[in-house]
Amino acid sequence: MTERVGILAVGQTKYCPNRADVSEEELAYEAIKQVLEATGLTLSDIDSAVTCSQDFWDGRTISSMNIQHVVGAHLSHEDKVTEDGINAVYCAMGQILSGHQDIVLVVAHTKESQAEKSLIENAAFDPALMRQLGLDFTSAAAMQAKRYMYKYGITSEQCAKVAVKNRANAKNNPLAQEPMDITIEDVLSSKMLSSPIRLLDAKPTSDGACAMILAPEAKAKKITRKPVWILGASNCYETHYLGDRDLADCDALTKAAQKAYSMAGIKNPLRQIDVAEISEEYTYQELLWMEGLGFCNRGEAGKLIDRGVTKMGGKLPVNPSGGVLSGNPTGVAGMTRVAEAVLQLRGEGSDRQVEGAQVALAHGVTGICGQLQAVMILGNS
Amino acid sequence: MAKASSKKKAEEKKPEYIHVTFNRPRQYSWSTGRYLGHFYAEAKENKRIVGNRCPKCKDIWLPPTPVCPKCKVDMGWDWAELPQTGEVYQYTYLVMPLWDPHYGEKWANPYPSAIILLDNGVFYRHRLEETDKDKLRAGIRVQAVWKEDYEERGHGMADILYFKTIDEQEAKRCLQ
Repeated sequence: MTERVGILAVGQTKYCPNRADVSEEELAYEAIKQVLEATGLTLSDIDSAVTCSQDFWDGRTISSMNIQHVVGAHLSHEDKVTEDGINAVYCAMGQILSGHQDIVLVVAHTKESQAEKSLIENAAFDPALMRQLGLDFTSAAAMQAKRYMYKYGITSEQCAKVAVKNRANAKNNPLAQEPMDITIEDVLSSKMLSSPIRLLDAKPTSDGACAMILAPEAKAKKITRKPVWILGASNCYETHYLGDRDLADCDALTKAAQKAYSMAGIKNPLRQIDVAEISEEYTYQELLWMEGLGFCNRGEAGKLIDRGVTKMGGKLPVNPSGGVLSGNPTGVAGMTRVAEAVLQLRGEGSDRQVEGAQVALAHGVTGICGQLQAVMILGNS
Repeated sequence: MAKASSKKKAEEKKPEYIHVTFNRPRQYSWSTGRYLGHFYAEAKENKRIVGNRCPKCKDIWLPPTPVCPKCKVDMGWDWAELPQTGEVYQYTYLVMPLWDPHYGEKWANPYPSAIILLDNGVFYRHRLEETDKDKLRAGIRVQAVWKEDYEERGHGMADILYFKTIDEQEAKRCLQ
């Protein structure tokens, strides 16, 4: 990139199973207030807002109307992204690089508790040819998990290790929804949702919001002493219809990662990246996405978790925050990964800090079996 | 004979459009949160319409909001009771049957939906009792009519049944 875009501040609500005490607007505002306080900016200083929310989850057409006041979008610029907040960060970056906007507020919110998760996920499938199969994201993910485990010999124990690691990491994150002391046995004996995915293999229902402020380099340096730079970013879609791609591989993620790496000058991701925050809605996904991100060859991520490469203190800690498994809402989860990467690079990870982190990876995913993949590389120097 | 057969042929060629139909509704349950929740509570407990006041421009917003849209500052927690009388600012006369999305019942039609300018200059939006469109004009003075039974209240704006026309003399003047 010719010019750099900085992230000036990040804010997150605590993630909870049901925030019945607040409206969506108030939830988003909790996160927005944090970034305004951290930067000393007011909503009048914001040139543009990029929001992320989904009409089906909010139960209204044009879900961003919900939060218009709290993003300062009265007689002002606002765009909505409806996939994941990480894509909204990407759009904000583009607005700044275009020269059209300077200070951009990015906000993602979802209250999963207010709607029927399975029905909304089912509505993501083709109305004529897929919805009638009664699939939701979990039952579709079960097919992907089975195919992946069969093709590469990944075991249920290796998947369970992801839950054990991430739920334990969540104990160091005061914002995490469900930190837990669990064993592989606990995961393997938890309630079966859709074979082979069990309750502790899946993320819980979650409410929450995440906010950020972005600005071009010169402004970023004026406003904060510790800006974090977006070094590379990309996303990639793959086919919707199950069966048209091998679910055991994730070519879209490989492509997205390669493009982000080439922008950021990353040739050996395992060596050059200090910490990774990966969107794993199910345990097998952390392993599969690590392969797509090129941290190992295809089918070899099970060995990485066996060898402890991805635990805290390992060569590449993955999800020090506890990950999506410990509870983040869909649509917010990928942006939460960016926020956590920023905290790591600012040295503000407190008990979950990876010492000396200089380059971090954030990954987001939207849709059925990882149909849309987004990768962002961030650095602090 | 030839003519009749070509007509029949044309009928046969009429394309058939196929539709995929879904009838399963999706359920939602929205939290009002603190601000709208206070508006709901005042309606149920005290039959009051309340808005919140901006600390900077002192404008009152209805529905209440955490941030003043104009000044873009935090609203704090400053409430104002609004008058229950005002005038019809504009209205639209609804003749298409529509479902009440909350209760699944069809509203009796026709009826007017109106923007009402309350006597303190704040706008509110509600239905009008008057269904005779010859008796409707912008400028007619109206007043809120509440559900009297406490147990039936608790549904926010629906705790007011409608706004009824008051001051018939003035109404007549408006209509002239």
